[in-house]
Amino acid sequence: MKATDIQIALCGSAGDGTIAAGDILRNAVARAGYRVISFDVYPPEIRGFGKCISRVRITTEQSYALKRQSDVFVSLDDSHAIPHVGEVRPDGAVIFESQPVATVAEGHHISGHIHPGHIPYGIPLRELSEKSTGGGRSRNLVVLGYIAGLLGLAPEHFLSIIEKKFTKQGSEVVSRNQAGFHAGFQAGTATFKLDNVFFTPLGTPHGSEQVVMLSGNAAVAQGCMDAHLDTFFGYPITPATSIMERLAVALPKRGARLLQTEDEISAMAASIGAGFAGARAATATSGPGLALMSEMIGLATMAEVPCVVFVSQRGGPSTGMPTKTEQSDLNAALYGSPGDSQHIVIAPTNVEGCYRCAGKAFEMAERYQTPVIVLLDLYLSNRYETVTLAVSGPPFNLNANKPRPRLEAGEVYKRYALTDDGISPRAIPGDAGCMHVITGLEHNELGRPSDQEEMHAAMSRKRHDKLLGALQHPDFTVSKRFGDPGRVKVGLLSWGSTFGECLEAMFMAQAEGIPCAAMKVVMLAPFPVQPVADFMADCDVVLVPECNYEGQFAHLVQGILAKPVVRLSRVPGSPMPVEAILGEVRRLARGAVTAIAS
Amino acid sequence: MTAHHASPSVPPHRYVIIGNGVAGNQAAEGLRSRDPEGLVTIITNNRLLFYNRYLLPLLFRSHKDWRELQSHSADYYQKHRIRVIRDVRVTAVDAGRRQVMLAHKEPITYDTLLVATGGRSYLPEELADSRHLLNSFGTYEQAMAVKKALPDRGTVVMLGGDMIGLDLARTLLSIDCRVVLVTHETTFWPHQVTPEVRMEFLNVLRDMGMDVIDGDAAGGVTAIEPGTAGLPARRVVFRQGGDVYGDVVMPFYGLVPSVEFMMGSGTDIERGILVGTNLRTNDNHIFAAGDVCQIWSEQEHAYRFYYGYQNVRAMGAVAASNMTGGNEHFAITQNGSLSRDGRGHIDSSFWAYD
Ligand SMILES: Cc1cc2nc3c(=O)[nH]c(=O)nc-3n(C[C@H](O)[C@H](O)[C@H](O)COP(=O)(O)OP(=O)(O)OC[C@H]3O[C@@H](n4cnc5c(N)ncnc54)[C@H](O)[C@@H]3O)c2cc1C
Repeated sequence: MKATDIQIALCGSAGDGTIAAGDILRNAVARAGYRVISFDVYPPEIRGFGKCISRVRITTEQSYALKRQSDVFVSLDDSHAIPHVGEVRPDGAVIFESQPVATVAEGHHISGHIHPGHIPYGIPLRELSEKSTGGGRSRNLVVLGYIAGLLGLAPEHFLSIIEKKFTKQGSEVVSRNQAGFHAGFQAGTATFKLDNVFFTPLGTPHGSEQVVMLSGNAAVAQGCMDAHLDTFFGYPITPATSIMERLAVALPKRGARLLQTEDEISAMAASIGAGFAGARAATATSGPGLALMSEMIGLATMAEVPCVVFVSQRGGPSTGMPTKTEQSDLNAALYGSPGDSQHIVIAPTNVEGCYRCAGKAFEMAERYQTPVIVLLDLYLSNRYETVTLAVSGPPFNLNANKPRPRLEAGEVYKRYALTDDGISPRAIPGDAGCMHVITGLEHNELGRPSDQEEMHAAMSRKRHDKLLGALQHPDFTVSKRFGDPGRVKVGLLSWGSTFGECLEAMFMAQAEGIPCAAMKVVMLAPFPVQPVADFMADCDVVLVPECNYEGQFAHLVQGILAKPVVRLSRVPGSPMPVEAILGEVRRLARGAVTAIAS
Repeated sequence: MTAHHASPSVPPHRYVIIGNGVAGNQAAEGLRSRDPEGLVTIITNNRLLFYNRYLLPLLFRSHKDWRELQSHSADYYQKHRIRVIRDVRVTAVDAGRRQVMLAHKEPITYDTLLVATGGRSYLPEELADSRHLLNSFGTYEQAMAVKKALPDRGTVVMLGGDMIGLDLARTLLSIDCRVVLVTHETTFWPHQVTPEVRMEFLNVLRDMGMDVIDGDAAGGVTAIEPGTAGLPARRVVFRQGGDVYGDVVMPFYGLVPSVEFMMGSGTDIERGILVGTNLRTNDNHIFAAGDVCQIWSEQEHAYRFYYGYQNVRAMGAVAASNMTGGNEHFAITQNGSLSRDGRGHIDSSFWAYD
């Protein structure tokens, strides 16, 4: 039996309940045991206009990216949906409103735009909503019911998710929305299904795992909580805000603290203060906030204070495109602070990775006494995936500090002692006999200001060398190769959210017989030179797809390894299409660019 | 001959065809070849692209996906730039504005309109309340619903017994289903048969294994009811008393032309849309073809229907020609009566669709 692989896209205007419907759908199917990857696109405006699209890919096994073409496409607003109707695969379904309330200008109804290869399902959504709920606002629930009925999904998970979602608004709202769902469900069951979209039943899940549905930002928040974050300081900014919102609810329940500061500079400064005091501390921001934090990050590097900065990238530079995804803050994350201020930069490639990187970031910050930047992007922050968590508990070390040797009688505590691994014994204020100075000025082993040439050289080396240990950090995947072993024609080298698309493209290329492999690089600083060099040595040509204009990661790789790569740098404001990557892989496999690559 | 040539200053001619059947598709093909620049739009209340409905009985012999029934692939429509607006219903035609109104309140403007909406199965008034207990057989979806409802070797009660139904009956008998025919004046529709021929062919049907109930003698069917527990799903009740049970009850009382939306358009309508042999209506911009139209017969001095695949297809071609400035006339290509095949079974020219 073929495994389930169905992508449903809902398109409407802000206020149509499109995103809410997508949310109910992904939660219901996840509760039914399917794997989900889902991404919403919404406008910066609040209500009344602007396009919203919720895409939900439902699979038997976890998938890595959304498909370019959906199997089912729903229009809740034809003016927004018409340009997207081509995103439906051949024989896919297009569900639309057949009884709009007002007259439609010629050419403005979606029915005239549906391709001959699609199956149209014109449904009186508004009428069904009005009949079942007394109003037209539950069209989104009607359409969910219709999809469930048409595709043969049991209603119970939907009904319980609807109840959960609307319970705060009272039982009347819950039953109204459930009634809308039921009306759609009946219509869906009564419709003869013409498209070949099928859900296949699922096996029983492993008892040692629990599967939850999380967005990237929710996974970050969960990782923070499981790593016992003590304090969070933040200033809201799209697309990072929901990390703070979630922590604002969760932290106080555990007696921990969250403070909304007046700006990003303060948020960073406060995190450093808390880190200095021994707390696990973090902040979250986006590109513009990172720019404001950069001086403070330099302070944490110089003072060797652990702290974690989550940066969710959006279109830039400056205010840029707040609701569009991009991977263009890599340079700022790596080099943003003045001086030789290397710190750890890690970038998860999927939602599960967001959870792991969040938790591990605190370990690393503590262990290597440095700021750690976790680079996300809007696509990763906002996309939902089913995540498998071990039932045995969070996999994080709650005290990763290097043990501090006991001071001998009369010994002076050296906060910045030069050691073999570059990591000095860390004391926190109040530790008996460990009074010390920290400063942004260059300093000696005691922490006292010093601008002596040898000391500056020794301290600079220390600050860099100690980070190399992170490349072997326990239970952390710094980089990983997938696909064909040994020599391959095309290697995909990727980071961050684009890796999912690379993986899908690699599978498709392999299915076409192209010898192909892909490597994800999670740790961007310090850079895992050896594994990447080994990977590149195995590839006839290396393709680096990334969502920025300059090819920032390609620059990094070429700068470090002095080897050529082929860039696929795009700034569509949306995830890199799998087909774009596959097209390049095919082109490269045909040997079209041997000249560039050699 | 190509009558309409679009030049840069003349916008392309807008041809709108209501109906995605044999006539509509034949016309679209003709329009495209005669006016390569014209905009050709087919509007239909069907979900599927044009498929061969004559093949629907075959669904009972083997599983056929609707794709196997399709006459043209999706690529055909794309390649020939024929836009097909599906799953929408035409509710009115505003001949003054030259606009077709769709149920979702969108107007579609035409320069020339072809009405090719065919016919839908006729249901006697007394059975209207039982509609939900009857299974129609006009579309792929309806055929599949019958297939689902019919158990292995099940019983189908056929009311009326037009030639569409009798075609299905032949298939059902061949797969060992029981077919009970309740006769009506529309039995053998569209053939008009004398009482002797009728009697002869009812006997042929009996010989083929069909149970034939004289509907007139039974006083006609008054109601359909759900069957009671342990009995087949449907009960057909006769006016004179008595009943018959079946797993599925299907009305086959012939077709009535689908013309309701043309009321108020100013087009002459009797039972169907009235046209000359050139398929023009009384409105210069409106043509009609296929089962929906009644064509003037000089011989009979009356408007009459011409059923059958070949006739309908010929009408589509004539309409396309005349919509693009031609002057062709429809001539009947398929007529005939009931006959017997080599095995003595019933046969008809109506069933010759190739
Ligand atoms: C199951 C079946 C078997 C048949 N077998 C035979 C056979 O063996 N031999 C034979 O000669 N004939 C047969 N027929 C009859 C044959 O189908 C018709 O004679 C022929 O199809 C008529 O073609 P048409 O183009 O005029 O109309 P149709 O094929 O009926 O097409 C009419 C179209 O108009 C559309 N339409 C109608 N009203 C509206 C509206 N208001 N808005 C939008 N769209 C509308 C319909 O959806 C349809 O697409 C059979 C019919 C059926 C249903």
